[in-house]
Amino acid sequence: MKWLDKITETRARKVAQSTSRRGFLGKLATVVVGTTAAVPLLPVARAEQSGGQQPAEEGDPNSCDYWRFCAIDGFLCGCCGGSINTCPPGTEMSPITWIGTCENPVDGRNYIISYNDCCGKTSCGNCLCQRNEGDRPMYRPQLSNDLNWCLGTQSVAYNCSTAVVIGTALDE
Amino acid sequence: MLRGLALVTLSLLAFNAYAQDKRAYNNYMLHCQGCHLPQGKGALGAVPRLQNFVGYFLHSREGREFIAQVPGVTMSSLDNEELSELLNWMVRAYSEEQLPEQFEPYTSAEIAQLRKTPNPDPLGQRNSILDVVAEGLPVLADEIATDGYAY
Repeated sequence: MKWLDKITETRARKVAQSTSRRGFLGKLATVVVGTTAAVPLLPVARAEQSGGQQPAEEGDPNSCDYWRFCAIDGFLCGCCGGSINTCPPGTEMSPITWIGTCENPVDGRNYIISYNDCCGKTSCGNCLCQRNEGDRPMYRPQLSNDLNWCLGTQSVAYNCSTAVVIGTALDE
Repeated sequence: MLRGLALVTLSLLAFNAYAQDKRAYNNYMLHCQGCHLPQGKGALGAVPRLQNFVGYFLHSREGREFIAQVPGVTMSSLDNEELSELLNWMVRAYSEEQLPEQFEPYTSAEIAQLRKTPNPDPLGQRNSILDVVAEGLPVLADEIATDGYAY
C-alpha cells in the first residue's frame, strides 16, 4: 500500500502548494452566504409548503366572529354537522369557490381563505353569518358572495359554507 | 472579486424571479383558482382546464390574443403588469410541455392593449382557434380527438 500513500502525499502537497486556504474559504463563504441570504433554499418546495401551512388560531370556529369568516355569507358548516374544513354528511363540497383573505389576530398575518360551499341538501339554517368584508357586487362575479357557489357539483342546492386556509397572502 | 460580484448578481436575479413567481402564484390563488381550481385542473363542462393544455393556445397569434381577451383576464382587478406576470408564470407552471419552443413572454403593454377589446364570444371561438392550431400540431389533434377541448 506504500504506493497509495505516496500518491496521496504528492497530490496533497501539490494542492497545498498551488492553492490558498483563505481563497477557498472566501469562495465557499460567498457561495453559502450568497445562496442562503438571497435565495431561500429550494424555493419551489417551500412555496408548495406554504400553501398547506396551517396557522395558530384562537376563538370558537362555530362563532360568526371567528377570524376566518371575515368575508363569509352563509351558514357555518360547523353548526350543520360538518366543520370549518369539512362538509356535513350527505353533502358534496363545491370545488369551484370564492376566495379572499382574512387577517389572523394571533400572528397579524393575512391568509388566503377558500369559502367552499357544501351542496346537495337544502339550507342548513344554523349559524347564519354575514360579514361580507371585501364582498363585491354581482358584476364582479369572482368576488361576489351573493352568488350560489354550488357549481360543478351534482346538486345546486346550497347547504352551508366552509372556510379553508389555502395559503398565506403576501404583504402588500 | 469580479467572480464574487457575478455570484451575488446571479443570486439577486434568481431571488427577483423567485419573488415574482411567488406574487404570481398568490394572485393565481386569489383571482383564478376559485374557478380554475388548484393546479389549473378546471371543471369539465363548467370551467376550462389550464393544466397541460393552455400552452397550446400560444402556438398561434389568435390563440395568444385569445388568452388575454377572455373574461377572467379582461375583467380582472389586477393591473397590466401583474396580469402579464401571472399569465407568463401560469403557462409555464401548468402547461410548460404544451408551449411552443420559442415562447415569447407577454409584456404588460401587450396585455394593456389586448384587454381593451374583450372577446365577445370566448366559448364560441375557443374551439375554432384550437382547431386551427391542431392543423399544424398533431399532438393537439390527437388530444382533441380523444379527450375533447379541455372544457
